[in-house]
Amino acid sequence: MSIRKFLALTRAGIMESLHYRLGIAVTLFANLIYLVLVYFLWKAVYASSGVDVVNGMTFTDTMIYLILATALFNFLEMFVVWDMSRSIQSGKIILDLLKPMDFRTYTFWSYSGSHVVQFVLTFIPTFIVVMIVTGGAIPMGLNLLYFVVSTLLALIVNFGIEMLVATLCLYTESTWGINIVKETIVLLLSGASIPLAFFPEKVREVISYLPFRAVYDIPLSVLLGKAGSDSLEGLLKLWGLQLAWAVVLTVAGIIFWNISVKKITVNGG
Amino acid sequence: MECRGLKFYLSIYRKILIQDLKSKMSYRADFVISTIGMIMTNVAGFITFMILFHNFPTINGWDYYHMLFLYGFSLVALTPVQCFFDNNWNLRFMVQSGDFIKYCFRPINVFFYFMSEVFDVKGLGQLMFGLGTLVYAWYHIGVPVTFLTIMQALIFLFTASLFMIAIMNFAAATCFWIQGSGYVMVIMFRFKDFAKYPASIFSGIFKIIFTFVIPIAFVAYYPSLVLLSPDEVPLLSWLSPLIGLVFFFLSYKFWMLGVRKYDFTGS
Amino acid sequence: MSDEAILMKGVCKDFKVLNRHEGLKGSIKDLFSRDYKTVSAVKDVSLTVNKGEIVGYLGPNGAGKSTTIKMMTGVLEPTSGEILVNGLVPYKDRTKNCENIGVVFGQRSQLWWSLPLIESFKLLRDIYMVPQKEYDDMIALYRSLVDIEPVLHKPVRQMSLGQRTLSDILAAFLHNPGIVFLDEPTIGLDVSMKSKIRDLILGLNKEKHTTVILTTHDMGDVDALCKRIVIIDKGSKIYDNDIDHLKSYFGSYRTLRMRIGDTWEERLIDEKETDVMSVIAETQAKHKIKDIQLQEISTEEVIKKIYEGGS
Repeated sequence: MSIRKFLALTRAGIMESLHYRLGIAVTLFANLIYLVLVYFLWKAVYASSGVDVVNGMTFTDTMIYLILATALFNFLEMFVVWDMSRSIQSGKIILDLLKPMDFRTYTFWSYSGSHVVQFVLTFIPTFIVVMIVTGGAIPMGLNLLYFVVSTLLALIVNFGIEMLVATLCLYTESTWGINIVKETIVLLLSGASIPLAFFPEKVREVISYLPFRAVYDIPLSVLLGKAGSDSLEGLLKLWGLQLAWAVVLTVAGIIFWNISVKKITVNGG
Repeated sequence: MECRGLKFYLSIYRKILIQDLKSKMSYRADFVISTIGMIMTNVAGFITFMILFHNFPTINGWDYYHMLFLYGFSLVALTPVQCFFDNNWNLRFMVQSGDFIKYCFRPINVFFYFMSEVFDVKGLGQLMFGLGTLVYAWYHIGVPVTFLTIMQALIFLFTASLFMIAIMNFAAATCFWIQGSGYVMVIMFRFKDFAKYPASIFSGIFKIIFTFVIPIAFVAYYPSLVLLSPDEVPLLSWLSPLIGLVFFFLSYKFWMLGVRKYDFTGS
Repeated sequence: MSDEAILMKGVCKDFKVLNRHEGLKGSIKDLFSRDYKTVSAVKDVSLTVNKGEIVGYLGPNGAGKSTTIKMMTGVLEPTSGEILVNGLVPYKDRTKNCENIGVVFGQRSQLWWSLPLIESFKLLRDIYMVPQKEYDDMIALYRSLVDIEPVLHKPVRQMSLGQRTLSDILAAFLHNPGIVFLDEPTIGLDVSMKSKIRDLILGLNKEKHTTVILTTHDMGDVDALCKRIVIIDKGSKIYDNDIDHLKSYFGSYRTLRMRIGDTWEERLIDEKETDVMSVIAETQAKHKIKDIQLQEISTEEVIKKIYEGGS
């Protein structure tokens, strides 16, 4: 298999995303307003607390963390579950399965284009704004490179979760329900809605072994040099956790998918 | 021909609702899973709230019970948009595929016809959750229970609900002009999570924006002040029913303008 | 009221579309481009349809048929020109116009997806405020024309395509509208369902004197239902007359069918140019002809010739 085939899918995805130009502008704008909301809330929260550092996080740390988590969320967002349920209901799934490329691979690469666009259009601008506003609170060094590696791993873990959940759509029509359960769990336990540092100690310990943390919390910790990522050993440990989950989720997803598809074909889907 | 008035629309809505509920009963698995999902989002929201309070005992001078009151108030106020206007989420798919055209062939209001098609039962779960929280906080704060306060609660909850409906109508209707605007709805819906914090946290230009442009300050904060600080109710709180109606009306007009301007070239 | 169900005078419809560029670079360019072009979907179409007529509205894909129908139903506003449907301006009085029209749009069901058909009917009865007596009569008429029992208590989502189309057509006639618009009603249906649906439309037209505007690509529909056809191509009306009249245009055309071996070969011959006998002789010289049939030109071929000839 040549990489060109995959890059063609990436290219098509980029073009498709750019097609909706006003949509992009509106999205950027809405995101900005969202960040303003986050800013005001936490400013008030820290102002009321009377101390500067809570659970090892300063106001600036929390802001950077949450803003970048939002940007990361937009960057990572996939609609695999919805797409899957729609193509099952319309019967298009049969065509997808007949494509001369493995379905999973195909889905992954067709999303890559929108990932690229989102990264360039939302993550990088947000990152630059945060950098300027906070005046160098984000360390600039090798951690940027580590962050990119960590983000790629996060992408794979996220895709693994998405595909596992999407496969459930082969069994039930309750897409909304499945999707909301997934989203709720991921957002809460990954630290996207409230930094994991604020969770009670014991809960945090449990969460740190779950895959959700690998999606938002680890890349952001690596970027900010937190959670022990400033030492090589700590960094490798975080990457190892991400990699382990990426492998586990991918393998589990493939197995689950293969079993499910067989079942559907037998039932005459 | 007779005129189709409010009575006509109410009776049609009731009939569609009954039929819809009947058919929903036949998809029990879907109902169960969606309800679990709904409960989970509420629980997760509550956990987030608790974690925040665990770390920061007051926010802008608001203590735990007052915050809880706001939280419950916002959940109840968000029920109507969830129950009656949930079809907004399908709008952009229908518009994109061209299926939306079917709503234009009936001699009834397009907005009504479109919204009547979906009644979201799951919203009731949220209502229960919100009511529970509200009553609990109400009791602990010691707001008196009189005919007046109950009436105020009802009126201002209704008022508050209009704002979120208006926001979602605006967000959904953007799809008539803008392709790929789906994210606007997603983010507007996420804005609602900020309705449960006192709007006094905003300052400067953003105070105005979040009051009059994206009116999340009205989703819980201003209307609830009528009950929480009866001695010094701001003017905006008293005016909120009026402002709510204006917002709703404008969002409806905007939505309908979208229908008129849309090309229906999706087919 | 006058005898005209539909009156269109010089109707035009333009759309503005963005000029898109090719390739990845083009996509990026388009992000900032203000390069719009105007596309005329319908150009100066005038048309009069009398009450009780069944008119075939034909044209190749993208000719502007759907746009015209959307304007007649009040969904789209014409850029210029006048339209009167049952004496109303559809775009201005959309709701009122809808009282007196019925629409079936291709494969898109307008019924409540999860409701049994009978419940959809009852809702429509209420929405159109059809008196109970008229409603009962209509259902009785349906029963006399077609076997509705198999679909009546079935949710639309569980129906076959044929049953769904049938249901949609019944629903469109339920409030006894003056005009019914049928957009490709038989698309994707099997032969027996097609003829069932054609009989139903004819029967309803006969009983209720409903005006029917039919767009289709299936000449079988046209032959079975329409006396008059209107053809539109690239937005302009290019033909509007009896179907027989159209055939007489091509009166000199014959379809010659020759059986060579086991297969039938077909050739369309213009007798003004070539002589049928010479074609046979020519073929005979090369192959052994086992059988010969000579037919008048079919509607299908007439239409094909018109589309190919352009305007």
